[in-house]
Amino acid sequence: MEALTSFLTRFGRIMGGLVGTMFQAGRESVDQVWKNILPFLAFVAVVVGIMNGTGLGTWIAQLLAPLAGSIWGLLLLSLIIGLPVLSPLLGPGAVIAQIIGTLLGTLFASKALPLSAALPALFAINPQVGCDFIPVGLALGEAEPETVEVGVPAVLFSRLITGPIAVVLAFLASLGM
Amino acid sequence: MDLLVQLAQGFIGIFKAGADWWWAVFVGIVPLVVVLMTAFNAIIAWIGTERIDNFGKFASQEGIIFLPFRYLLLPVVAVFVLTNPMAYTMGRFLPEKYKPAFYDAAVSFVHPPLGILPHVNPGELFVWAGIATGVATGYGDAAVTDLAVRYLLVGLVVILIRGIVTERLTAMMWKKAAA
Repeated sequence: MEALTSFLTRFGRIMGGLVGTMFQAGRESVDQVWKNILPFLAFVAVVVGIMNGTGLGTWIAQLLAPLAGSIWGLLLLSLIIGLPVLSPLLGPGAVIAQIIGTLLGTLFASKALPLSAALPALFAINPQVGCDFIPVGLALGEAEPETVEVGVPAVLFSRLITGPIAVVLAFLASLGM
Repeated sequence: MDLLVQLAQGFIGIFKAGADWWWAVFVGIVPLVVVLMTAFNAIIAWIGTERIDNFGKFASQEGIIFLPFRYLLLPVVAVFVLTNPMAYTMGRFLPEKYKPAFYDAAVSFVHPPLGILPHVNPGELFVWAGIATGVATGYGDAAVTDLAVRYLLVGLVVILIRGIVTERLTAMMWKKAAA
């Protein structure tokens, strides 16, 4: 009888812990949706509304389509976005990447762009990722001030090389899609 | 009067186009993201951060053999468990000369997993989802899953390359700064 009670107590405690963790995890994810995803959606919805409602979107999309439609255009896009002067400006909140991505999305929806362009496009719109955040990111890693001084230009110049490399790799990896 | 009505219709039409888009994305994406995020948040809570610290110490060692640990495994584990931006705190286990390269590799991995692991960076979901929703509409859901897997795999190769290139560039600039 005693063994049974102790088993039941332990079982109950484990189950309680499990449920508690799951519930906390659910609360965190709903919080994230509420605080981060929905506000961004609302903001982009206004932009998309203006783009789709006025025809401005079609115009910009027509401008982007030839750039996003060929490997050379995507390489050019990644080079421009990856320029060491531009990349820290284009980085914050990944807002630019998210808006260009959404605009390009409309081109995939209408099949104006082939499916094979999607993977290279994902990398072409994003060579600036984290370029606005290098000193903070290094500080989070407890880097010395001298490391930050050397690290910022090192990462920025690295992107000029690795940005286009990523697009080429993505292009090769999307063969057969 | 007719002109006024037409103007009003055009005006509302702009916002209606936005609302249609908002609803389609909300219904199409958010439920899956919530469920996935909940599952991964729970898994992370069960793994615990001490275990990750131990792995960080192990993976941060010098030498070429540890290159794939420093710029592939460590950034992947850090981003998966600690998510953006806390993943960069893993850099504290590395020698100073490797910190910029680790940051570069880690920060470049906060988007490629978004199609499968949205919990790593929900605030920037649309770097992935902007293109993915379009692909879903034009080419179907199967194409999106295919794209998500390829995005993740290519991302792995790209962060390793970024780590190696940035490590070299850091070494070169360090020499120049010292001279």
